[in-house]
This record gives sequence, structure tokens and C-alpha cells, in this order.
Amino acid sequence: MDGKPENGDNSGSVDTSRENEPETQRESDLTRRGFLEGTGAALVVAGAPKLGVAAIPPATVVEQEVAAVPKTAIRVTVNGAQQRVEVEDRWTLNELLRDHLELTGSKIGCNRGECGACTVLLDGEPVYSCSTLAVWADGREIVTVEGLERDGDVSALQQAFMDHNAPQCGFCTPGQLMTATALLDRNPRPTADETREAMVGNLCRCSNYNAIVEAVLAAAGTSGGAA
Amino acid sequence: MSPQQATGPIGPMNIVGHNVPRIDSYERVTGRATYTGDVRLPGMLFARVLRSPHPHARIRSIDTSRAEALPGVRAVVTHETHELIYSSGSIAGGRQYSDAAKDVTRNVRYMFDNPVRFVGQPVAAVAAVDRHVAEEALELIEIDYEELPFVIDPEEALEPGAPPIWPEGNLALDGSNQARPSGGTSGDPEAGFRAADQVFEDRYTTAFVQDGQMEPRSALAQWEGDKVTIYTPTQGISNCRHDNARDLGLEDHQVQIICKYMGGGFGDKNGSYYFDLIAATLAKEADAPVLLELTRKDDWLGTHGRWHTIQDLRVGVARDGTVTAIGLRAYSGMGPYLRRSGGISGTDAYACPNVERVIYPVHTNRMVSGNFRAPSDPQGYFAMQSMMDDIAYKVGMDPVDFTLKNMRRPTEEEPYTNYSLEECITRGRELFDWESRWRPEPGSDSGPVKRGAGMAFMMFRSGVGPSSAIVRVNSDERYTLFVGVTDIGPGAKTTMALIAAEELGVPLSQVEVVWGDTDLCPYSVGESGSRTTTQTGYAVVQAALDLKSQIAEKGMPRGDDVLIASATPTPSTQGMRRMCFGAHFVEVEADVQLGHVRITKYVAVHESGRILNPLPAKDQIRGAALQGIGQALHEDLLYDPRNGHPLTAGYYGARHLTHMDVPEIEVTFIETDDGFGPYGAKTVGEAGIIMGPAAVANAIFNTIGHRMKDLPITREKILGALA
Repeated sequence: MDGKPENGDNSGSVDTSRENEPETQRESDLTRRGFLEGTGAALVVAGAPKLGVAAIPPATVVEQEVAAVPKTAIRVTVNGAQQRVEVEDRWTLNELLRDHLELTGSKIGCNRGECGACTVLLDGEPVYSCSTLAVWADGREIVTVEGLERDGDVSALQQAFMDHNAPQCGFCTPGQLMTATALLDRNPRPTADETREAMVGNLCRCSNYNAIVEAVLAAAGTSGGAA
Repeated sequence: MSPQQATGPIGPMNIVGHNVPRIDSYERVTGRATYTGDVRLPGMLFARVLRSPHPHARIRSIDTSRAEALPGVRAVVTHETHELIYSSGSIAGGRQYSDAAKDVTRNVRYMFDNPVRFVGQPVAAVAAVDRHVAEEALELIEIDYEELPFVIDPEEALEPGAPPIWPEGNLALDGSNQARPSGGTSGDPEAGFRAADQVFEDRYTTAFVQDGQMEPRSALAQWEGDKVTIYTPTQGISNCRHDNARDLGLEDHQVQIICKYMGGGFGDKNGSYYFDLIAATLAKEADAPVLLELTRKDDWLGTHGRWHTIQDLRVGVARDGTVTAIGLRAYSGMGPYLRRSGGISGTDAYACPNVERVIYPVHTNRMVSGNFRAPSDPQGYFAMQSMMDDIAYKVGMDPVDFTLKNMRRPTEEEPYTNYSLEECITRGRELFDWESRWRPEPGSDSGPVKRGAGMAFMMFRSGVGPSSAIVRVNSDERYTLFVGVTDIGPGAKTTMALIAAEELGVPLSQVEVVWGDTDLCPYSVGESGSRTTTQTGYAVVQAALDLKSQIAEKGMPRGDDVLIASATPTPSTQGMRRMCFGAHFVEVEADVQLGHVRITKYVAVHESGRILNPLPAKDQIRGAALQGIGQALHEDLLYDPRNGHPLTAGYYGARHLTHMDVPEIEVTFIETDDGFGPYGAKTVGEAGIIMGPAAVANAIFNTIGHRMKDLPITREKILGALA
């Protein structure tokens, strides 16, 4: 019962050097703009990107009104459909999915790599989409929670989540599902401990952890809840 | 139903009492459930809030000209442009809190205040075409601050010469505008202490715990003429509407609140809050819809969490182990603004008639304290039941026997609708196998890995009260239920549907639920105080009964006709206490060389009346118990006393539990029907969090033989105690 593996006692060994800075400075640390300036000499795409979805108004407005920011054209496969999109270099993968491809299933719980609500699969591996730049997804395959159904049927894991009441508020559920999907892909019969270890990066403040693990084990056909 | 039927074995029902999968579980596992931050409106802007970097400072000037000139910025608001006061001050705002009381406490409900009084307080907000531009604009706002002396510790804040946070002083004003401690005296405490053979005194402290719900606060506001629609995660759309209308100078009907799915609340999202007002104000200024998103750090420091406490306890005990008097003198750290009372419970779980309670809710320059699941309870129960556990050992009694001797029971003067606390405790003792796990001699295992056991118990209000529901049937025999609930996690939407289906005698599939929208739904009490099932659920029963009698009288509607029934019952328990009960038994393993504590068994026994839907009810208890364990062992918000800055904001800093940290929680419900609520259902949601800190701390004492008096019980504190 002693916290996350790399996390020391919270009164003794925490590195407080950054935390002591004023709030405004901390916030600016989190701003991606400066950090990303100059990361990509934009590959200019001729013509409008074909997204296969309706254009989202805010992006359009930005292009017209705001000073030009570096952009890059990338090719991504999202939930099985290949797309060519022009992204601002500062966009995270989560921003691309939620704000520009209308895939709002993956959530933002912290936007700083702590909670896992934004987890998606990148070439089959679970990643925090809040901490992954959209340009890094160029040429790669992305699966989100919206892509788990096959021919209108939910996956065995989704069904188990429904049967075992794995979502309480449901906000962490998309991330839990993606990490568990990746786990079952590489280890179809995990133990409870292997499941907990694989999913340590997906927090649930409803603390429905028992039910989530039971659901994963049920989907795997192993005994729900057994250690 | 009459109370006389109470506590007998409960009869089977058609739908109620069976495991019913949530009617919206498909939406929840496919990403189709739409949360506030998922709503997209044409032309909408994104907003960000600038926050104070100082714990206490006067704003000499704010210059927003550079921010306003940034291309893409559409509106900037500060304390110089708008005077905005938010009104939620009590458990859920709205009708629970009178307008008169709101006027009195107006000065402590901030928005863009000057001076600023904590790190993280809003000082300005910007709406822009996207969130990057909004963030950039924040950096262009220039503020000249005059830093003021600050105080972080609530006890120090009341000392003479402490920096005054308010002109009236640092003791928080109550609802009557009086600076006085809360609490009160019952019986004759002095006589009780005189009658004692031994008097014990000790100090216990509990830490600030952020609610930390996964979905950060956000609000999306859109004006149409003089009507505003606000999408906002709130535990109570009806109260949220009333409060926002009042704050914006509108009538209730001019405000529409929409909240269907919500990513957890735990009290953090009670009523309205300043985000709604900022979004509505920016949307009006910019003449466009505005989505205000709080970052995680905004949410951590700019909302609230459970108040931290310092509790000095004094308990008198007779030679036979009977508690004769209890004294509590305590400080609750509220931050600079008052979101809630700062109350501390726990003494009322004991039969002892002689009790004196003096609780000082104190303003400090820390972040604001407010509701978190059972707002006054886990911290109070931790101190009180640690103290009683300690006394049990000192008078040579098994803590369970000491509890059974001293816990509160019904009396002729104070009847209960039913009482099952003793059954919860004895059942828990048996299921847990207390005799084999508890060490008569604390810390007696040879180690270095030792084991031991502890327990705690509770009773918690499960009141009845008003709420509303409407149900309609058409000629296809499709039933539509209109209820102003939000699904914050426990499954209110499903619960309301299954209650309606049960009472109407139709399959669940014939009932559709319209929810989470004040333009479509009648008043509902709100998802706070564990009241949705007991109050709104009871209204559903009454509306369904009315509809059934209409159908019996007039027959099913034909053609385009419909039948409609509504109900706003105001049930009463006629002076009886209606409580839910529980007992938690915990075994821990402690490595006395490393200070590492692991929970090896956790048994939770609860009586929450009839359980309407067992699977989610069990998970309410499991999740709440785990949150209690987090409070016991992990969570804190440390401040640097030198500069008044928070050090451990965020999930990582506060060490919230992960998959790897949690034991399995074994839940048993003792079911009864006391004749109140829907089919005898009582409170579930808050009950499970109350006992964890006390039970875990008592188990640690039994394991290592040292009483841990300060939460959270971290590894370093254990090593310090053992050193």
C-alpha cells in the first residue's frame, strides 16, 4: 500500500523545486507552444485536407485570424480508416482526435501524463494521447475506444465491462479499455496481478479497481477476482 | 407501508434487488457517452483562467491590453470589468440554502476577488479562438501585486497577531454572520468527567484530501437573447440553475442547465461554482459560445477538497469501560473562502450523553475546503475511533467489545426507523474472523513483517425529503420518466428507470428516461448527500402509483393521447432517526524495517436498507472504502510554510491509489425495509468512505504497537514512530 512504484513518500522526497515556482510560471511550463516552436519545418499540403469528417469550426477560425503556426501534413490510420491531415506541430494526438476528428471518446483527465484517461493504441501499444504529439503519429495506426466495435458488435472486453459494472462515472473507462485491450492482445490469459501491473497507469478515482480487474479477467476467460 | 413492518426479512421483487446492467452501459464503453467537455457548438471559443501566484496579495493594477490585442482573443474579464459573486454555499446550493443566508455570506464567495487570498485563486479569464491562443493571452496579462503576510496553519491563524485574511478576523462567519465556533454541549460534560475513573487526552490531525474526480471542471455557455444554456458538470442541475440565475440576475426559466454524463463528483461538483459564471460572462462579452476548461492543476487548486483538521479529544471512562464524557476541541482549515461548514462528526456514534464539542472553522491562505463524500465524517471518525480504540487497549478490553458497550443505540426518547448497527458489527467480526486476526498484544508478531487487525463502525443519516418526478405513457405503452438527475457514477439513471418499471409492473425496456436537462425535467434534489435514490426515487414511486391509478380508471391512452402523472412527495419519518449503518474490519501487514503497509483483508458490512441494484451498490462501497484507504495512507496537500505554495497538487503528488495499491474489498449487505424511501432503500454512496481511515489506523496500531495520530500514515511516519 505505498503509492506508485517510483513515487516516494509525499512529505520527504518530493522534488519541490518546480512546485515552488509561482502558479503562472508553472502554467507556462505546460504550454506547448514555446516548446514546440520550430520543431517542424512545415510540410505544406496543397489543398484542403480530406478528413472524412465535418470540418471543425475552431480550427478554421484559427487559420484565418491567428498568426501562422508551424503545420505538418501527416498520414494516419484512425480506427481502420487512412487519413491525410494537416496538423499544427503543437497539437497533441489527443487534440487531433478530440478537436479535429470528432473522436471525443478518449478523455482529458490531467493533460500531463498522470491519469491515463486519454490512452489510445498507437501501433497496438497503449500511449497517453495527451503526451504524444500528433506529428509523431505520422505513418502509424491509431485505435481509439470508438474503434473497438467490430461490425456493430462490442468486443468481449467491452461486454465484460458492461456486465461487471466496470464504469462508474465512466470517464476513465475509455483509457482502461484501451490498456486492457493491449494487454489481452499480448497476454490473452493474464493473472489478476499481471492485469493490475499492466493497468497501473490508468487511474480510477471512483476507485472501481476491483470491478475493472474482474471485467478484464472475465473477458480473458479466467476466473474473475481470483488473485 | 408503515414503519411497523420494519426490519423483517424483505420479500423478493420483480426488478428491484436483481443485478440490472446499466441502461446506458453501451454508451459508457464505446465513447458515445457525452460529457460536458465533449460538446462542440458551432463557432465556440475556448477559455482559460489566470490564477494568483501568491498566497495573499493586493492587486495594485491589471493590464490586459496586450492580451486583448493578441489576434484570436475575443474577451478578457477581471475584477475590474465584472463583479461576480457565486452563491452556492451549502451542501448543494439552490433551495437548500436560503437567499437570506446567501446575502449574509456574500463576501466569502469569491470570483476575481481583490486581494487574492490563495495560490490558485482566479484573477482573470480569457476567451479565444482556441486554447493555445487563450493560454498565450494569459501570459500577456500584466499584474502588479503587493504581497501581504499569509498564514497556512489554522491554529496559528487564530493566534493574536496572525495576518488577517478578512477584516472580521480569521474565524469563519457562520450563516448568521457570527464569528463563533460550531458544536455545542449535551448532557453535563463536567459531571461526566468527574464520574470518570480515568480521563484520556490526545491530539489527532487529518490532512486535506482533494476530491480529485477524473473529469476536471468545465462549463460551456451559450446565450440566445436573454436566455443562457450552460453545459456544466454539476451534482444537481436544479440547484445549479437556481444559483446561476440568481448570480446572473436572471429568472430560473432564463437558465438551462444540461448535465447528463459526468466524470465523477464526490462533492466537488455540488451546486454551481465560478466556472459557470466565467463561461456565461465571457460568452456574453464575446457574443459566442464559450467552453471554459480547467486544467488539472486549475481543478486541483481552484476547486476544493476535504477540510483538514486538528482535533484535541478528551474522553472520560469508568472502571467498567463505560464512556462517561467526551470533549472535542478542533480546528478545521477552510482556506480563505467558506464553501462548507467545517463540521466534524464522530462523537454522535457513541451513547455517552455528556458531550462538549467546540469546532473552529478557520480561514487560512491555503486553497478552499469543501465537500468531499461524507464531508464531516472520515476525519471525525478517524480521530474519535482511534481515540476509543486506544482507550479500549488501555482499559484492557477488546476494541469490538468496547464498541458494543459504548456505541449509540435507540432509546425511548430517540427512536430509529430501524437499527442494525450491532448486527453489522457482529456479522463483520464473524466474516472477518476477528479472533484469529486480532492481536491481544499489539505489535507482538516477531517481524520484520507483522500483521494485525482493526475495526471501525458508523451510522450516517439517510433522511427522507422532497423531490419530483413525472411519468407519461402513450398508446404504444411506452413509458417516459422525466427526472432531473445526473449520472455522476452510481447509476442514477438506471436506478430511476428500474424503480419506475417495478412500480408500473412493466419490463425495464418499456421505460425511457429523460434526464439531466432543466428545460425538460422537474426539480430534483441533486446528487449530493446520498439523496437521489431515497428522495427522487421515492418521487418516482409516487408518480408511478398515480399513473397506475389513472390507467386503472381511464384505461390506456388511445391514438395521440397520453396520460401523465407527477409527484412531489414530502415524506417524513415522524421524528424517528433514519440511519444507515456499517462496520469495516481490516487486516494489515507492516514491514517494520521499510515502513511499508499493505492491506491483506478488508471486510465491509453495511445496512443500507433494501439494495435496489446489488452490483453497482457493491461497487459504491468498494470504491468508497478504497478512497478511505487513500485518505488513511496516501493523500495530502502539503504547503511550503515559507512561501505559502502548494507542493503536492495532482494525482502524482497526492499519490492517489492506482490498480497496484488496492486490496479486494469484501462487501456484505444486511437488507431491511423500514417502510421509508423507495422500497426501504437507504443511503449507500457516502457510507462506505467513513470508516476506512479509522479502521486502517487501528489495524496499524494492532500490528506495530504504535498509535499513528496524523493522517496520512506514510512510510516515513511509521519509521519515525518505530525509530
